[in-house]
Amino acid sequence: MKLSTSEYFIREVLISLKRNNWMSFASIGTVAVSLFVLGVFLTLVLNMNRMASQLESQVQISVYLTDDLKNSRKDTIEEDIRALQGIESVKYVDKEEAIERLRERLGDQKYLLDALGEKNPLPDSFEVTVTQPALVQTAAEAIEKMTGVEEAKYGQDVVEHLFDITRLMRIFGLILMVLLAGATIFIISNTIRLTVFARRKEIAIMKYVGATDWFIRWPFLLEGVVLGGIGGIVAALVLRSFYAAMAAKIYSTLTFFPLMPQYPFMNYVGVAILISGMIIGAIGSTISLKRFLEV
Amino acid sequence: MIHMRDVCKVYDTGVTALDHVNIDITRGDFVFVVGASGAGKSTFIKLLFREELPTSGVLEVNGHDVVNMEPSDVPYLRRGLGVIFQDYRLLPEKTVFENVAFAMQVIEAPRRLIQRSVNAVLDIVGLRDKYKSFPGQLSGGEQQRVAIARAIVNDPAIVIADEPTGNLDPETSWDIMDIFHRINVAGTTIVMATHDKTIVDTMQRRVIAIEDGHIVRDEAKGGYGYET
Ligand SMILES: Nc1ncnc2c1ncn2[C@@H]1O[C@H](COP(=O)(O)OP(=O)(O)OP(=O)(O)O)[C@@H](O)[C@H]1O
Ligand SMILES: [Mg+2]
Repeated sequence: MKLSTSEYFIREVLISLKRNNWMSFASIGTVAVSLFVLGVFLTLVLNMNRMASQLESQVQISVYLTDDLKNSRKDTIEEDIRALQGIESVKYVDKEEAIERLRERLGDQKYLLDALGEKNPLPDSFEVTVTQPALVQTAAEAIEKMTGVEEAKYGQDVVEHLFDITRLMRIFGLILMVLLAGATIFIISNTIRLTVFARRKEIAIMKYVGATDWFIRWPFLLEGVVLGGIGGIVAALVLRSFYAAMAAKIYSTLTFFPLMPQYPFMNYVGVAILISGMIIGAIGSTISLKRFLEV
Repeated sequence: MIHMRDVCKVYDTGVTALDHVNIDITRGDFVFVVGASGAGKSTFIKLLFREELPTSGVLEVNGHDVVNMEPSDVPYLRRGLGVIFQDYRLLPEKTVFENVAFAMQVIEAPRRLIQRSVNAVLDIVGLRDKYKSFPGQLSGGEQQRVAIARAIVNDPAIVIADEPTGNLDPETSWDIMDIFHRINVAGTTIVMATHDKTIVDTMQRRVIAIEDGHIVRDEAKGGYGYET
């Protein structure tokens, strides 16, 4: 593209942003709001995903053994567990260690255990972790069938709940994304339609003197991309400060919370929002050109 | 240059605007297309720059097969043509210079060439000193001269005009015809639809008369032929 031509396109876009300033402002605003909401969902879903997989990777199977097993039997069980698919680690916890841990966990209330006297009601156990979260259930079931194993338990419910919520959020976010993108495309295509209308004389003359269709289309396409892009930038900046404020608040109260660190995470989200804005803008103007330009 | 064989044009409304028209126009011709209102003159003109497509027949303009050409080639057909209308169709927010330069910008002509060519055609139409004016500040005749400058700035092989003097008084009309004459002498083919009996009778050029979509007369040096 010739320099004078790109200059021409840029000038045309600026003129028409100015001419339609109210509509341009409205489109940028709609794009910004929509993309901001999308961005909120994106960050939420990504954070929850991260939380879920962190919890998942912490999921362990507690294997409680029947009382008074011989050490050799325990060794066989341990070997059998290790032989299962996808086992990461197996750790033996004897009943003394178990009660010690319980004592610690009870803290101030450890006097409750005094009532037991010298008796220790807790069983010996193995703590088993698996390489992939999906393997937890099958491993637990297999272990439970082994002789000498009383019970194999894991925190199935919590994780599954969390995953259910993320899945729901993802679906909800997707629906919302489609709706908002639709609304945004509609607004942008209407703005571009105004521009096309304002310039119908110019367009007619351009056709008479032999401008190519693409030469005629470019400024409009560019206008849509600029509108979407500016909206995207606004949304990204607002979301960024929003996230920073939220993160500060969360960290000050729940230090252990596994939040995505601001950098570089928010940069990626920002770029994604910007690109979505530009794509939405391009789609909006394309629709409008198809319907109203007839070139 | 222009070749029409059995060209018919039937509009969607069912009106037959042109009925089996056969015409050949050669390079350097100066052609008046005359006829009563509704005869089909504008339709004839519109077919030439592919504003309308023939319903049937063969139409070649400046080496392009207008009927079968790719839509993407239409701009290149039009670059060889200069089109002028009764209502000038200038852009009111652009100056005289910008209106003419616009025709070159949008076909991506180099900037230095634009400057040079626009000044040259403004000389031809006698508006060099009004290059900064806006169309609203010009008389009808001057506006039409700007439109002519725009039509010829890309050096077309054919200038096509639909009643270019339709809104002008007789004296101003002659200024326009004088410009057309000079363009024609320089080698450009001119096809002009008109109602103006005096002009046609005085110029003594080729006359194609249309009546109800039929060519009823085609004379090398003709007059208007009707009493109006
Ligand atoms: N776009 C159109 N759709 C339908 N019918 C049309 C269209 N344009 C022209 N016509 C009809 O075709 C016929 C020829 O019209 P055309 O405009 O070619 O006449 P004309 O000779 O230019 O008339 P005038 O001298 O009034 O300009 C008329 O009956 C007109 O009503
Ligand atoms: Mg007409």
